[in-house]
Amino acid sequence: MRQSPLARLFIYASVILTCAVLLFPIYWLVVTALSQPDQLRQLPPKFWPDEPRWSVFGKILEERPILLWLGNSALAALGAVTISMVVSVLAGYSLSRFRVRGGQSLGLFILTAKMLPATLLVIPLFGIFRMTGLIGSLWSIILAHATLIIPFTTWMLKGYFDTIPRELEQAAMVDGCSPWGALVRVILPVSAPGLAATALYGFVLSWSDYAYARTFLTNAQGNWTANLGITTMKGEYISNWADISAAAILVALPILAIYLFLERYLVGGLTAGSEK
Amino acid sequence: MAGGRFSLDLARPSRQHWLGYILLAPAVLLIAAIIIYPLFVSVDLSFQNVGIARLDQPRRPFTTANYERLFTSPDFWNACWVTLKLIVIVTSACCLLGLGTALLVNNRFKGRSLARLFVAMPWAVPEVIAVVIFAWIFDSSFGLMNWIFLSLGFIDKTINWFSDPTAAFAVVATTMVWKGYPFVSIMCLAGLQSIPDDYYAAARVDGANAWQRLIHITLPNLRPVLGVTTILVMLWIFRDFSIIYVLTGGGPLKATQTLSIMTYEQAFGFFRMGYASAIGVVTLIICVIAAKLMMSRAPENL
Repeated sequence: MRQSPLARLFIYASVILTCAVLLFPIYWLVVTALSQPDQLRQLPPKFWPDEPRWSVFGKILEERPILLWLGNSALAALGAVTISMVVSVLAGYSLSRFRVRGGQSLGLFILTAKMLPATLLVIPLFGIFRMTGLIGSLWSIILAHATLIIPFTTWMLKGYFDTIPRELEQAAMVDGCSPWGALVRVILPVSAPGLAATALYGFVLSWSDYAYARTFLTNAQGNWTANLGITTMKGEYISNWADISAAAILVALPILAIYLFLERYLVGGLTAGSEK
Repeated sequence: MAGGRFSLDLARPSRQHWLGYILLAPAVLLIAAIIIYPLFVSVDLSFQNVGIARLDQPRRPFTTANYERLFTSPDFWNACWVTLKLIVIVTSACCLLGLGTALLVNNRFKGRSLARLFVAMPWAVPEVIAVVIFAWIFDSSFGLMNWIFLSLGFIDKTINWFSDPTAAFAVVATTMVWKGYPFVSIMCLAGLQSIPDDYYAAARVDGANAWQRLIHITLPNLRPVLGVTTILVMLWIFRDFSIIYVLTGGGPLKATQTLSIMTYEQAFGFFRMGYASAIGVVTLIICVIAAKLMMSRAPENL
């Protein structure tokens, strides 16, 4: 269908206006980071700083252990995603291909587990980790994040395996592959995009956590994650919004980059199984 | 359930069966250790008078005092009310904004893939960072929002956003809407892709205008997706901890204290873990009901 020029103009105008309004908070974060701290205490506010202070990022990296925080977040996410992926690939495949007694109830349980509030599990996990001496160690949040990630990844991978024709394994087994060999040599390579999407999504889940890090790691400064570090800055630095904003940008950047460059994978995972 | 019978029985069926359990075992063991066992501990704690959970010590005597105290506590009912208010307001705003943006960028125009990326971008901003952004925008002295409201003449003196109960609630709701609508938008866009073009072509032949096409084709076809998405958004608000906790800590005067925040506050603020677990168990029951509801809405999901 052809659109009239007027209709097209209208669409462009509304798209640009909508994006401008909805993304303004992100723009404002950047402006704040680049402003001189005393400029932020002037009204009317400046919508672009006179002299953008690009050095703020270097300054904040020197003053605050942001790289350490980012490293901890990455380590925790890596650990949690690895553990979750290993068990979810196997479980998702099993739920997709085999008739397992109790599979249906396991599915229902996993769906419920996806909805559990972190504030519910955090209390018993605190007790368990205290007993086992994991409080303050990155392992505490790796395991806690696995509780967030496993239900999602198992569910997503089961859905993904469902879309792969069974004829593939059958053909492999006719050729003499064992069922295990069929999974490892045929199904997993074919599912690479789905595996990547699922792992990426798990990474985002772990990176976004605050509740578990706040509870288990507050007293272990060396193991603070990026989100935890940022909130401590917000608490103490009531006035220096430029610095907090600069730190916030550095923390948000990894996920924003994943989103901007790998959006197709992320969204594929997010919507898997919900459309139809 | 997709494909009831497994068709691997080309090989030895008995072994397939066995392999199915083996593959499932690691996940089941891990889930049992880090989700199911903690849930049992939680329920167990909720029936004891416990300050700080010490699992290596003998359990305290059984008591229902936590629940009795809970259901007679005005704080609990306040938290329920705040949670409900937040769910209703934020969910409706997220759905409207998400659906609106999805419909907008579903139009055909040059650069629409870029527009789709931008319109859902807040999804990729971590919650804690969203809080930093909005805490500064709603800053009482130099925040942008006070300046805008003053310049537009809505108010004549600055609002202290974080010490006024209504204002603080509005800030929390705004932040959550901004963080929550992109999910609806993404889901709706995916749903829109699955509506066949023929429907629209046929409607056009019949002379339906854009509004009629929206009401009679788009919305009815989006209903399943919207239903599931709405439940997921509600649950997200129900569960959320970081936005509210970092933004207001549940205050002022418990105006933003949801059940989640109350649970955490009781457990790690006042160290009443037995009592907090009782609140947690109530939230667990609500989650199970929601899961059941979702299953009936989207049976093809399992």
